[in-house]
Amino acid sequence: MTVTQTVVREFEVDLVVRETEQVAHDVVAMTLSSPDGTALPDWTPGAHIDLLLGDGLTRQYSLCGRTSETDAWRVAVLKAPDSRGGSTAVHDLGTGATVRVRGPRNHFPVVAAKRYLFVAGGIGITPLLAMIYEVEAAGAEWELHYGGRTRKSMAFLDELEQFGDRVHVVPEDELGRPDLDAILGEPRPDTLVYTCGPEPLLAAVEQRCAAWPPGSLHLERFSARKSDEPTQDSSFELVLQRSGKTLQVPADRTVFEVVREAGVSVLGSCLEGICGTCETEVVDGDVDHRDSILDDEERASNEVMMICVSRCTSPCLTLDL
Amino acid sequence: MNQYGSAGHRPPAYPTQSWYVAATSDEVTSSPLGRRALDTGLVLFRTSDGAAVALEDRDAHSAYPLSLGRVEQDLIVSSYSGFAYAADGSCVRVPTQTEIPYDARVRCFPVREQDGLVWVWFAEPGLAGLRKPPSVPWLVDDAWSTVGRAWTTEASFMLLHENFADITHVAVVDPSFAPPVLSAGPVPLLEVEVTETAVSFGRNYPPAPLAAWHSALLGTEPDAVFAQREVGRFVTPGLWIDSWEVDLDDGSTATFRFTHAVTPVNATSTRHVWRVSRNFAPGEETSAQLTPLFTDYYERVRSILETMQGVLSLDGPRPDVHVAADAAAVQVRKIVNRMVADEQLGGTR
Repeated sequence: MTVTQTVVREFEVDLVVRETEQVAHDVVAMTLSSPDGTALPDWTPGAHIDLLLGDGLTRQYSLCGRTSETDAWRVAVLKAPDSRGGSTAVHDLGTGATVRVRGPRNHFPVVAAKRYLFVAGGIGITPLLAMIYEVEAAGAEWELHYGGRTRKSMAFLDELEQFGDRVHVVPEDELGRPDLDAILGEPRPDTLVYTCGPEPLLAAVEQRCAAWPPGSLHLERFSARKSDEPTQDSSFELVLQRSGKTLQVPADRTVFEVVREAGVSVLGSCLEGICGTCETEVVDGDVDHRDSILDDEERASNEVMMICVSRCTSPCLTLDL
Repeated sequence: MNQYGSAGHRPPAYPTQSWYVAATSDEVTSSPLGRRALDTGLVLFRTSDGAAVALEDRDAHSAYPLSLGRVEQDLIVSSYSGFAYAADGSCVRVPTQTEIPYDARVRCFPVREQDGLVWVWFAEPGLAGLRKPPSVPWLVDDAWSTVGRAWTTEASFMLLHENFADITHVAVVDPSFAPPVLSAGPVPLLEVEVTETAVSFGRNYPPAPLAAWHSALLGTEPDAVFAQREVGRFVTPGLWIDSWEVDLDDGSTATFRFTHAVTPVNATSTRHVWRVSRNFAPGEETSAQLTPLFTDYYERVRSILETMQGVLSLDGPRPDVHVAADAAAVQVRKIVNRMVADEQLGGTR
């Protein structure tokens, strides 16, 4: 039998920290470039990269520079007190340090619209900043509501000044929290809402946007969505169409693990349903979506799934692998 | 952000937020050139400072192509209405009155000319500054000799990309032209590398003989064997590049590099500029031998893709059966589908 082996992987490279800048009390912006100055892969606003920090520690950071700058990537990192170690490790990287980078990938893309409403909370400004440069260049209407604890804790306020009154800065110690009822209370026609920030903000925005037309809300989570109900895992049959393999997924294993063990090359990164790397096309089967990326519409369409966490409720799942 | 998307309400068949080759540099002169790309009529010409200009090929006064007019002192003049337009598309003269009609203009497209290619941006002009056209410097580098042609293939631009993404079919389409190693048994490991917007792939082949024409070109013994390597890259929806590298006994590498600029004319038609560059056997005489060889091969491919498009147009698309060798094509399709979906107003992703 003729077997064509295939390995699919994401772009990975060692980059040098060219510049670090304290852009807020606990936030450092880092500019990464290749040691010899060669161009880095193109990306679009909303994209993120993995920083591989050693000892299996991998963290995702949104690119927050300009897409026109092809020889450098900028990320901004919050030193989080409850950090799982990632942000401390990144803050320890000084100018001239080398860091392994994977990506970019994008599960938070800017979809075409006439108007955009951006709602940022704290470090959630990072992907939205790149989007703002994009939609401004495209000549779209937009406004940003940017909440944070204090002015000193909010990154990129100086950079946002150029956009004048399109930007509404809401430091909590001066003005309280952004008034989401006023901002999102009335669905606005031809407007897409983009939000990124801490989970309570995302949940509050999601709640207000329930009354908006389907597909209006786009959000990105930095941590996995908490499941409301306990889940029961069962085993099911897994058919990999392109590879011509039939496998069994036991109740205590993920689809991703079973596929990898069978020698079929798939992409994966965070393995907790937040980065989107393992997105796989579904040919057949009822998917039990457990990721923090797909919205309700995308889940209902059953076209793709994140195989690192999501499972199947029907007896058999067929994937385009 | 797609106020200039494809015509009508049909779902767009291609991304617009990408640079596309509208013409080669030698085609753009001080005489107007009419060309269709992305369901848009373009007129291309050069002003006296040498700059290439791309305007919509339709007089604002009446539905008459400006490409049938003439260029006079850096203005393009309609040969029906006599309206004259500057390089930025603004109307600067009308023959019948001294007042210029308020805001009379034709659409002007951002242009970048590099490496002998004229790239045009069809999406919002403001976004052109945030992206750069890809660079293909070997096309104008003296260390490389290049042959090639340009024509229109009556097939979707994606059928061309999918063809480039899997070269294993070359051995089926044209066995005497293909590297013999392609039909020598199981194909070696295919390594695919993806980023958000690009797909690269590579395969290392064990030492094997070359096709007769290839070995004659290199002056090697017909049955001599060489390690060979294939690398390909989907750079943007408008550009594919790939290489076939042969490791020679003296330690050097003889490389064929293939450059394919693909520009959708409409959903089922594609302008295809192909270039075959080599870093060995320089000279006009060799180029004259290679041109018919590659022309013949790419004509076969064109004919196959046109037949395929015919089936698709008659009977509609169906899920294709994929094999592992399609891994690169699957990734390319993912990227293009996402770009198209994100450009639709409101989004359907």
